Amino acid sequence: MTAANIDPVVADFGELVQPHRVHRRIYTDPAIFEAEMTRVFAASWCYVGHESEIPDPGDYRTTTLGLRPVLMTRSRDGDVNVLLNRCAHRGTVLAAESSGCAKRFVCPYHGWTYTPDGQLVAIPFPSDHPVEDYSTLSLGRLATATYRGFVFATLNADPEPLDCWLGEAVEAFDIIIDRHPGGELAVMGSPQLLEFAGNWKLSWDNAADGLHATFAHHSYNTLGSTVDVETVLARDPGSTPMVSKALRNGHMVVDQRPGIPQGPWATMRDVPFREPLESALVDAGATELLDLATGSMVNLSLFPNLIFVGNQLLVVEPVAVDRTRLNLWLTSAPGAPPEIDLLRLRVDEDFVNFGTPDDLDMFERVQRGLSVPEMEWIDMSRGLPDDRATDGTIRGPITSEAPQRRYLAHYAGLMTAPAATRAR
Amino acid sequence: MTVAAADVPGPGPSGSAAADAPAAVLARYEELAELLSGMDGRPLADPDLSATAAAALAHEARLLDAGRFEDWLDGWTDDAVLWVPLSDRAHPGNDQSLLLDDHRRLAERIEWRCDPSAWGQQPPSRTTRVVGSVEAWDGPRGVVTRSTVLIDEHRHNRHQQLAAYQIHELVGDDLRRRTKILVVPALATGVRNPSFLL
Ligand code: FES
Ligand SMILES: [Fe+2]
Repeated sequence: MTAANIDPVVADFGELVQPHRVHRRIYTDPAIFEAEMTRVFAASWCYVGHESEIPDPGDYRTTTLGLRPVLMTRSRDGDVNVLLNRCAHRGTVLAAESSGCAKRFVCPYHGWTYTPDGQLVAIPFPSDHPVEDYSTLSLGRLATATYRGFVFATLNADPEPLDCWLGEAVEAFDIIIDRHPGGELAVMGSPQLLEFAGNWKLSWDNAADGLHATFAHHSYNTLGSTVDVETVLARDPGSTPMVSKALRNGHMVVDQRPGIPQGPWATMRDVPFREPLESALVDAGATELLDLATGSMVNLSLFPNLIFVGNQLLVVEPVAVDRTRLNLWLTSAPGAPPEIDLLRLRVDEDFVNFGTPDDLDMFERVQRGLSVPEMEWIDMSRGLPDDRATDGTIRGPITSEAPQRRYLAHYAGLMTAPAATRAR
Repeated sequence: MTVAAADVPGPGPSGSAAADAPAAVLARYEELAELLSGMDGRPLADPDLSATAAAALAHEARLLDAGRFEDWLDGWTDDAVLWVPLSDRAHPGNDQSLLLDDHRRLAERIEWRCDPSAWGQQPPSRTTRVVGSVEAWDGPRGVVTRSTVLIDEHRHNRHQQLAAYQIHELVGDDLRRRTKILVVPALATGVRNPSFLL
């Protein structure tokens, strides 16, 4: 199948993304947004879902890759497929529900029928249809790879292997998974869906921003008075032993663990029904498992669309140049006592209700501010010069803007030298 | 998980009350799930009871729209639950919600709403609730009501309207809120900063 038609001259990204500042246009220009949907989202490995969401043959889930409608399915042989959710006849979106189970995907328009691995198996009334080889009319396939249950896919014509693309990010990825008993992590049914009137990269700029919590989340840090959260988040965040890391391919890590030696549960505010559930675990001798009810305190961001925060997977979905949808999926711990997941449900509501609204408001304020054409630049120089280790990783205090600089440099590379994309 | 008593660490509470506690949590969740899933098949409502409930729901809407959150908080029982699920098929113990508050977190939510540095609600949303189709029945713990509510929100330079329905459990002579379930279909497709929802 043919590659996407790429117009190479959208903008001079060497000019727009400089080491210490970036231009407002990358957040406001619709032509740049349109190019990003192919050069960033189609050409990079993107997270599409978790294997636990489609346990049985025929199970499927729909999602997007940039703006492209995508279908993740489990076929009869147990394989996971990622397909373009687009009928090979005239383009109709095949599956409209967010998830389901289907032995066959029958197009609602003229009845072409596909297997869960995308093979065309039937065209109704075929006698007057000249097609001889149905295999030329399969659903478009994406290159697909999984890392410990996490399914990634790309339309890149020649992608680097997933392991290479993850690179140093694997260390944090493993920490997040391995804390679950048996290394077993699952993703629960329906995500919280929050939209903001701003560019998708604003959520990316924020994901490893260790300075904003002191200001934007001031109300969260002081809310309630029973637990001493304030000392962690409200004192000079640059002087804490927490570490930020800017990795290859735009990935980012914020490791808060060194700043919370007493463990994450000790900093958790009193969520609804905490006491009875906590008591049950303590009585069962499982006190040490309580940390599982909170996040790993290692925030990992895999560019361009997956951010681990708390026990949630924050999937960044671009909608328009000034519109973004955040999909917040909650992970569960199937190998742990049920109280852990019951606590997780209430724990992860906490920040979404009393912290995330601040972030959403900041994103919308920034987007409005960036509409001012006479003020062109966004400063990103905090923490310069970068301290680059031999493996290329840049480590710094959590107030350093090195993660933003590095992901944007990676982004500029993708936008400057677009990779060919194709459906298989 | 079974552990010998000698291995139990820490000063945690012991005895049958603590052991039964998770069952009490699950029982409360089951009540919520049944209220939600059992609503559509209910018979014709009691007209007198519905009129009484409508006054209580209008009063609640008036307090919320006026920003009189402390007064609104006073109208809840100690075992209050406010639940905003993500769909009308959700279960509070199996599915993510937008929020599920007990009385303690409701009080924190009100504190947050009044905090001048809670940017998600500063400046605050101005809301107008239009409550309609109030139906009420006698329930095992009090009066059960279902009503529709259109929530109109203005904030900064934006305006959004969310249509929803709400289920209340109102107990005692003064019809205190024991349970409120707010079902907002738009949460299944994406809502901008929903922190004005109560
Ligand atoms: S568009 Fe799908 S069968 Fe015609
Ligand atoms: Fe934040």
